[in-house]
Amino acid sequence: MLTACASTPPAPTASLQSARRAISNAERADAGQYAAGELGEARIKLASADTAVTEKNMIMAERLAEESRAEAELASAKTAAGKAKAVNEEMQRSTDTLIEEMRRSSGEKP
Amino acid sequence: MKTVNHSGVLLRTTLIVASTAAVLLAACAAAPVKPAGAAEARSKLTQLQSDPNLANRAPLAIKEAEAAVRAAEQPQADNELAAHRVYLADRKVETARAQAETRLAEDQRAALSAQRESARLAARTREADVAKSQVATARAESAEQRLAAEQQAAELQRQIDALQAKVTDRGLVLTLGDVLFETGKADLNAGAAGSLNKLVTFLNKYPDRMVAIEGHTDSVGSDEYNQQLSQRRAESVRSYLVRQGIGSERLTTLGKGESDPIAGNDSATGRQQNRRVEVVISNAPALR
Repeated sequence: MLTACASTPPAPTASLQSARRAISNAERADAGQYAAGELGEARIKLASADTAVTEKNMIMAERLAEESRAEAELASAKTAAGKAKAVNEEMQRSTDTLIEEMRRSSGEKP
Repeated sequence: MKTVNHSGVLLRTTLIVASTAAVLLAACAAAPVKPAGAAEARSKLTQLQSDPNLANRAPLAIKEAEAAVRAAEQPQADNELAAHRVYLADRKVETARAQAETRLAEDQRAALSAQRESARLAARTREADVAKSQVATARAESAEQRLAAEQQAAELQRQIDALQAKVTDRGLVLTLGDVLFETGKADLNAGAAGSLNKLVTFLNKYPDRMVAIEGHTDSVGSDEYNQQLSQRRAESVRSYLVRQGIGSERLTTLGKGESDPIAGNDSATGRQQNRRVEVVISNAPALR
C-alpha cells in the first residue's frame, strides 16, 4: 500500500500555480519594498517545491507550494498595511506641519 | 524520523482497519501532544482577536487563521506535517493581522482627513486675521504719520510766525530793515540781535535749510559804493550767524546794491524800505 501510494502521485499543479499567482500578485503590489523578506521567502519556497517535483517528492512539493503561497499572501497583506500606514502618517505629518506653522506665526505676533 | 513516519502511517492504518484499537493508540502515541509552535500561533491569534481595534476588521482572514491554528493544534505524529501546519497557521495569523491593520488605517483616514481640514481651515482663518490686523496696523500707522506731519506743519507755521518771515516762491524771506544797521555802515546795531536770534533758533530747528543773504540799498550814492555796502551788510549778517553756530556751508551772501528796490527811491520812507538785508531761507526739500 505504501509503495503503491508513493509511486504514482501527481505533481501538485494547482498548488504550484496558486503559489506562483500569489507571488506575482505580491510583486505587482510592490511587496519588494514593503515586505521584501516575506517575498523572498515565498520565492525560495516555490523554488524548493519545484525541486521537490523533479525529485518526485510530491507531498513535500505540495506543502512547500502551500507555504510559498501563504508567505506570498502575507507579503501582499503586509504591503497593503505598510502603504495604508504610510498614507496616514503623511496625512498626520501635514496636519502637524499646519498646526506647527500656525503656532509659530501666532508666536511672532506681539 | 522515518520510523516515526512509518509508525504514524501504521497507526492510521490500524485506526481505519480496527477502530477498537483505542488502547493501542494511546499506548503507541505517547508523542501526540500539540505540535511545537502551535501554542505560539494560538497565542498570536488570541492577541489579535482580543485587540479591540483589530478583532472585527478582518473577519474572513481571522476565520481562516482560526481554522489553520486549529489544524496546527491537532496532535500529529508526522513532525513534518505538523511543522507545515504550524507554518501555515503562523502565516495566516500574520496575514489576518496585516489585513486588520490595513483596514484600521483606512478607517482612521476619515478622522485624519477631518483633522487636516480643520487645521487647514484654522490656518486660513488665522492668515486672514493676520492680514486684517496688518491692514489695521498699517492704517493706524498712516493715521499716526499724517497726524505727525500735520503737527510738524503747524509747528513750522508757528516758527515762521515767530520769525515774522514771509512765505514766497523763493522760500521764507526775512527782511532785516535799515534800522538794524549803523547808518551808512555795515555793522549791525544792538537792536539786530532780537531778530537774528529768532533766525538762529529757526535754522537750528530746520538744519536742512539753506540760507541766501542778500544786501540791498537805495539809489543814493554810486552803484559801486551801494553794491559794496550791500555786500558788506550781507557779510555782516553771515558772520553773526556763523558766530551763533550756524554752519557756514549753509550760508551764501550776495550784494545787490540798488538794483532791486521794493519801494520808490523818491521819498525818504521808500528809500528806507529799500535799504535792507533779505534772508532767504530755502524751502525744505520734503515740503511742497
